[in-house]
Amino acid sequence: MNPSIPPSTAEYGGDEVSAIVLDPGFSTTRAGFAGEDTPKSLIPTYYGKYTSEGQEKLIFSDDVFVTPRPGLSVHNPMGRDGIVEDWDMAEKVWEYSFTSRLTGPKPGNPFQNGLNDVVDGELPTEMEGVEIEEKPLADSPLLMSECGWNPTKAREKTIEIAMEKWGTPAFYLARNGVLAAFASGKASALVVDVGASSISVTPVHDGMILKRGVQHSPLGGDYISSQIRALFKINTPQPITITPHYLVYSKTAVDAGQPSQAKYKSIPPEKAPDASYRTLLEERTLSEFKECVVQVWPGPNKLSATSPSGSLNEEVAKSSPGRPFEFPDGYNQVFGLDRYRVVESLFDAKAAIPDSESPFPPPTQAQTVPELIKNALNGVDVDIRPHLLANVVVTGASSLLHGFTDRLNQELMQTYPGPRVRISAPGNTAERKFGSWIGGSILASLGTFHQMWISKKEYEEHGPTIVEKRCK
Amino acid sequence: MAAADVRDMLDLPAEGQPRPHKKQKVVEKRPEGITRELFALLGERAPPIAINENRYKGRPKWMSKLRVRPWRMAPFTNEARSDDLVLQHWQRQVEPTKPALEGPEAEREERNQEEGAAHSSDQEYLFAKYSIKARVPRRYTDEEYNRHLKSDEWSRQETDYLMDLVEEYDLRWMVIADRYDFQPHPVDAETNITALVPAKQVRTMEHMKARYYFVAASMLALEHPPSEMSEAEFDLHEKMMKFDPERERARKELAALQLNRTADEVREEGILLEELKRITANEQNFIAERRELYSRLEVPISVGNTTMYQSSQGLSQLLQTLLQADKSKKRRSILGPEGAAPSPAAQTPAPNAGARDSRGDTPSNVPVAPTNKKAVAAAAANKEAQQNFRTLSPSEETKYGVQHHDRLAPGVQFRSDRAQKLTQAKSNVQTQKLAAALAELEVPLRLVMPTERVCKEFEKLIHSVNLLLDARKVAEKVESEIRVLEAAKQERERKAKEAREKEKPEVKTEQEDNPVPAANVTSEPTRGAALPSTDGHAETAGGHTGEATAREGTSHKRSASVLSNTSEKSTKRPKKGALHVA
Repeated sequence: MNPSIPPSTAEYGGDEVSAIVLDPGFSTTRAGFAGEDTPKSLIPTYYGKYTSEGQEKLIFSDDVFVTPRPGLSVHNPMGRDGIVEDWDMAEKVWEYSFTSRLTGPKPGNPFQNGLNDVVDGELPTEMEGVEIEEKPLADSPLLMSECGWNPTKAREKTIEIAMEKWGTPAFYLARNGVLAAFASGKASALVVDVGASSISVTPVHDGMILKRGVQHSPLGGDYISSQIRALFKINTPQPITITPHYLVYSKTAVDAGQPSQAKYKSIPPEKAPDASYRTLLEERTLSEFKECVVQVWPGPNKLSATSPSGSLNEEVAKSSPGRPFEFPDGYNQVFGLDRYRVVESLFDAKAAIPDSESPFPPPTQAQTVPELIKNALNGVDVDIRPHLLANVVVTGASSLLHGFTDRLNQELMQTYPGPRVRISAPGNTAERKFGSWIGGSILASLGTFHQMWISKKEYEEHGPTIVEKRCK
Repeated sequence: MAAADVRDMLDLPAEGQPRPHKKQKVVEKRPEGITRELFALLGERAPPIAINENRYKGRPKWMSKLRVRPWRMAPFTNEARSDDLVLQHWQRQVEPTKPALEGPEAEREERNQEEGAAHSSDQEYLFAKYSIKARVPRRYTDEEYNRHLKSDEWSRQETDYLMDLVEEYDLRWMVIADRYDFQPHPVDAETNITALVPAKQVRTMEHMKARYYFVAASMLALEHPPSEMSEAEFDLHEKMMKFDPERERARKELAALQLNRTADEVREEGILLEELKRITANEQNFIAERRELYSRLEVPISVGNTTMYQSSQGLSQLLQTLLQADKSKKRRSILGPEGAAPSPAAQTPAPNAGARDSRGDTPSNVPVAPTNKKAVAAAAANKEAQQNFRTLSPSEETKYGVQHHDRLAPGVQFRSDRAQKLTQAKSNVQTQKLAAALAELEVPLRLVMPTERVCKEFEKLIHSVNLLLDARKVAEKVESEIRVLEAAKQERERKAKEAREKEKPEVKTEQEDNPVPAANVTSEPTRGAALPSTDGHAETAGGHTGEATAREGTSHKRSASVLSNTSEKSTKRPKKGALHVA
């Protein structure tokens, strides 16, 4: 067989080495074994912190949402731009993501775990030779993902954690844009990743990102949430306040638009959790709202413009039947045109609903998705632009907004009427949510990939700088 | 009643096929769970309930002979790696060659196998062969650089950097251009003072390519001088030497323009392309049609000697043979395959046989046809059958497009040509007159759609126009005669008047009555001529007789020509034989 010929499609190129794929995001952290089709372990990146009996305690995973402990505050180790801010906590959250479901918790210190308790009177046996602590990833190679604009320092820190704290025998750091492209079977693609904290556009060529084309803006899922909040503030029958489930004792059915008649739980202020806890739970209601109600105006043209047939798009949107939504406290309302307005600013910055209290500054036109794509394309060579446009990969959970890909397609067709625009967005929700994880799963289970790992030996030889050299 | 009786009654063949149920009559074995008495009660046919025991489906027998080949987690190393990273993967144990052994020997065997597996994994990692690098030229030495590769634009450091990048990214220029970020190292202090620190310039992909190609081509030329290069190498060298960054830049600008076209431009281009496609398709169609037409016009010209057909005898003989061939063809189609096939060569001359062949064959054809008695009988029957053919009514004929032709000119001709010929009269003047008349009627000289019926009508029209012209001619003649006569009369009268004036002067009024009947005479023929043009050919003769009084002499001539026409027709009628189906 000629080695310069790549394996044919029928040939199975996989060779699984039980690698672990870790795809940390702002909202959730995904981990699982390479070769599987969905991550086994999906935990929120948020963690809870509270003090009990004078000791600081941490809560990871979905447990964060469950109990409103007194003084419970919720934090996120990641920054809004996708770069880790709190390395200690990031390490703990990530470690939790794979130890909880995949590798099992690390065994405790053999001195303290009770198994080696010395019967009194006997001298402790020779314990110096025993390694004090077994590393949690001692026998699994680890593939991690990172955003395309991750600074060198953060990358070096990541490999340091993986090698020294987790003891992985082999490590690789891949860009999540590349992985998402792999997940949809493309080596070259323009990846539009709409995440919780940001939208990123990554041009990928031959499995490598083109750094000058990478664009990102903060208009992610959380921004949409802030727009929804702004909408609720100026809602017409009455402003809507979101009461999370944990504050509702019981609710009774009310007619649409009528004030809710729920009984609320009263938590005394000294026992109440931190405000961040409430925000996190409100966020959960909002994401439900986004899943059920929010819709992207599918185009053609902006929501505020007129359609090619001459009628106002807003009128058309108004005439479509609204969608009802019931809040945890029983208040319910049908959302008509408003359900389009909250996401319109992803495409048209002027359509943003103004809100002075929002943590997000009003978006600029350069932050909208079509502009990001335009800038990304302008950053790469003209020869591959048509090819990239023909391979637009849409991924990220926020891209699941109803009608998002239709609108994106319309916008791209308008901006680039000449070349063929083709969007590939998997219809399967899981594939869209875990796009980059799945790509990592594919990559780490390929037989040809095993030469790319940075082994422990190489790390010890070259130090953390090797990550810049090898993970290009 | 047995089936045989039924068959008898229904006139079916005695024993069409073997009866199936007899075959099936196999004594079924009594299943184990049923007593003999109960089984007897069940009768001959097995119950539709499946009686089976509850047990697991066993393995096929051949499977039990196989040994289980376990998978085990095996460590492996990858030759594509420089370090000896040991990873673990599941690997199937190698199939043992010897059958399983008992006791400690088996254990030893097992260990051997394990070693074997480890050994085989040691041999080569399956995917290591895919680890390939792009071939980049040998790196230059200092001397080589200084001699051949010096450039004003590129420092040695930057060239090194570029070559490193090229090697690292396997000549992926997109990525190289993307990652290119050359930071000139701080040069030595002395040179720093003297030499200007070159401003960091933006290198475009074209610059990098140009530099790399120059270096690569030079290195290639250093290795083998161009005269010694192989063809492939020489091509490569030429290509690299001829790389023109300016042209590449211009091309990219054009590409960018092409990419950023507006919607209108794209639409226009689409329309133009569509138009082009249509035009080429039309042209293709036209060419194909014309070719077809030519191929139709080019009748296979018989190269054979035609002298034998030039006498009427020869012609009649030909007709006979043709008729014969026709008949035999018909008979064959009616009688079907069993109707005694007389020698097929005699039946119909092979279509691909040349004209000479058929000529040679045809005379002998005539007597050959009925070879045996049966064929003769069949021919007789066929004749009867032919007489039984019902004749088509005129309406049916038009319906099926059946036409009878009086006389067929040899070769292909166009129907419109025939109509065209009619417009050409013998004299030029007459032709012009005809054309004028047609123009007046707004009938084009060349028929737009020369269908059968249109041609016929046109023929009629031309006929009537001819009549009209004739009539006019006659009328003019008569008129002139009248004028002459009148003039003569006037002359005469004048003379008489002069003579009479001397006697009595009242005869003057008589003179003015005369022109009226003359006018009547002139108008009548036109009316008469117009009539047949609407009524048709048959009535022209009537029209003739109606106006015969006015122009006795000419109409005679006319009717004579008509008569001759009809007589011609009548003489030709017996010849009409061939039936043409359009």
